[in-house]
Amino acid sequence: MTRLVTLLGYGAIALAALGLELAARRTGRVATIGQALDAVLRRWPFRLALLAGWMWLGWHLFVRVDWR
Amino acid sequence: MHAHDGGTTPARRLAAWTGAIALLLGYAWWAVSRPPFSAAATAAVLLAGAAGAFIGALSRGRTEPRVVAPRGGAWVVLGAAAGLWQLAAFLQQPRHEHPTLSSLANALLDSQPARAAAFAVWVLGTVRLARR
Repeated sequence: MTRLVTLLGYGAIALAALGLELAARRTGRVATIGQALDAVLRRWPFRLALLAGWMWLGWHLFVRVDWR
Repeated sequence: MHAHDGGTTPARRLAAWTGAIALLLGYAWWAVSRPPFSAAATAAVLLAGAAGAFIGALSRGRTEPRVVAPRGGAWVVLGAAAGLWQLAAFLQQPRHEHPTLSSLANALLDSQPARAAAFAVWVLGTVRLARR
C-alpha cells in the first residue's frame, strides 16, 4: 500500500461512517452512532472497557509521543 | 421570562461556563507541555481523565426507559474495517508510506496549541462518554 492508498482507505471509512450516520438520522432503520454507543454502554463490562480504551487513547496521544 | 432559575442567572451560568472552559484550556496547555513519556505527563492525563469521568458520572440522569434502538450491526462492520485497515498500515513499513491514525494525529497535533485543544476535546469526550 502506498501512502495515498492508505489515506484513501481512511477517507473511505470516514465517508462511510458519515453516510451511515446521515442514513440513520433520515430513515431511522439503522442505529445512529449515539444509539449504538448507548447500547454498548448499557452493560457495565463494556462501559468500563470503552472508558479504559478512551483513557488509553489519551495516554497514547498526549504522553507517549515526542512532538517537540 | 424569569431572571432567576433555581438561583442562577444566565449571567452567572455564563460566568461559570467561561471559568470552567478557561480552567480546562489552561490545564490542557500545561498538561501537554509535560515532558513526553514522563510520570508527570501520565499523571496529568490520568488526572484529567478521572476528573472528566467523575463529572460525567455525576451528571448522569435517572435511568430512562429503554427505547428499542434500531440495529447497530453496520457500525460493528465499519469499526472492524477501520481496525483492520489500521492494523494493515501498522504492520507495514516505512511509516511515511503506511501511516497509522497515530502518525497522522501526531502530524496534525504538531504544535502546543493544537495539542492543548485536542486535549481539551479529549477531556470533554470523557465527560460525554461517562455521562451516557
